Amino acid sequence: MELIQFVQLDTTSVILLILIGFVGGLVSGFIGSGGAFVLTPAMMTLGAPGIVAVASNICHKFPKALVGAVKRHKYGQVDVKLGLIMGAFAEMGILYGKHLMTGIKDQFGAVGTDLYVSAIFVVVLAIVGGFVFRDYLKLKSQPHSDEHQLTKLAKWVHSVHIPGTMVYFPGANAHISLLFIAPMGFATGLLASSIAVGGFIGVPAMIYIFGVPAIMASATELVIAFVMGLGGTMFYGLEGVVDLRLAMLILLGSLFGIQLGAIGTTYVKDYQVKLTMAVIMITVLFSRIFYIPGYLSKLHLIEPMQESTVRTLKMIGDGVLALALILGAATVLTALVKGMAEHRKQHEVLTESEGIAQ
Amino acid sequence: MADANSGWSRTLLWGAVTAILYLGVFAYADDVIRFARTTTDACVVGAGAEAVYYSKPTPEACAEKGGTMVQGNWLLVFLPILIAFAISYVHGAFTSNFWDSVGLRAASKKK
Repeated sequence: MELIQFVQLDTTSVILLILIGFVGGLVSGFIGSGGAFVLTPAMMTLGAPGIVAVASNICHKFPKALVGAVKRHKYGQVDVKLGLIMGAFAEMGILYGKHLMTGIKDQFGAVGTDLYVSAIFVVVLAIVGGFVFRDYLKLKSQPHSDEHQLTKLAKWVHSVHIPGTMVYFPGANAHISLLFIAPMGFATGLLASSIAVGGFIGVPAMIYIFGVPAIMASATELVIAFVMGLGGTMFYGLEGVVDLRLAMLILLGSLFGIQLGAIGTTYVKDYQVKLTMAVIMITVLFSRIFYIPGYLSKLHLIEPMQESTVRTLKMIGDGVLALALILGAATVLTALVKGMAEHRKQHEVLTESEGIAQ
Repeated sequence: MADANSGWSRTLLWGAVTAILYLGVFAYADDVIRFARTTTDACVVGAGAEAVYYSKPTPEACAEKGGTMVQGNWLLVFLPILIAFAISYVHGAFTSNFWDSVGLRAASKKK
């Protein structure tokens, strides 16, 4: 028999989950990608096993993704066909990823899933955080370098014609072979079912490989996230690991934060958004590193460590994660307040000068 | 002024519905957990908030723990999906109205 425990909730953990959801939402709304890279580790820090944190996070995300996709579809930013086709392949990735995760759970128990999720987080956040930081440096030195230009790879993908597999995607304004879409969709789903963040593959793939403009890629990703989230909740639900209480508490804070974060982006420069994203990613990455020795020790994959050492490392990890959350919230809220004050000042000057001109 | 008042009325209305849904989930938290844990066969040891759920049970191992075998019902998997949808929609409407009523809006032009 297997025992995967849900977290016991008391007043402190409820308040913490709502606050974590709020910060996750703030960050998510501000940087325009899912905040799950903050939320999954935070849920694990509060004691949720990796598999429960991922499953519950996927459950909290998909209705939000649907609402976001519908909203952005009204602005003409969603390539529905691309979203649904990539979503279908992502669903296969989700199923395979869930199979991997439950395999690890069956063999190594809850701690095995903790190690698996943490290790993937460290690798993925190092890669993505590095790219985002590079983008920040580029944007700061050349503020208009983010204007949509097809990459060499995207031009090549558009030029390839494989009979019987070509589909026209309005977002890319080109015919693209399903043989390119399939692996990217699959990888997106695989990552989503491993750490509850699929957009780290889906969005860059759409921009750099399929030649979809960034704003359209992030909107289309919401369709994929919805399809993946719905399937992921069902697949993980059948394993009995979706904790609706966790999902709804995170959602409670997250929906307040996401709108505030999204408003915040309209008051700041793009490079500030990138810097925030990179700093939070790298801080979360470091927090996860401190938990890994403890998991390895519990699984007897390294020499057993003293309980006090594991506890100390966990405390450091908790502290670094708390720092990431505080840093994220402070950056977004400061940017929002400063930006609003500047905007108001500019508006007043404009109104005054219009008054003088009259 | 009338607009501001109707904005707050809408916010309070959506807020009240959100609160009712959340109270429902947490008032019946034990049932919510039971439904989540019994989408497949399980062995339940204890009851209420203290209940511990074992998956992949065998009758012998379950009896050894002093638990009860529960037959799984896969249809229960749709419950969190429906609840998540309902709460997300209602709570989304509430927060959107809330920030509007507070006066926080996006800048008219991005810098």
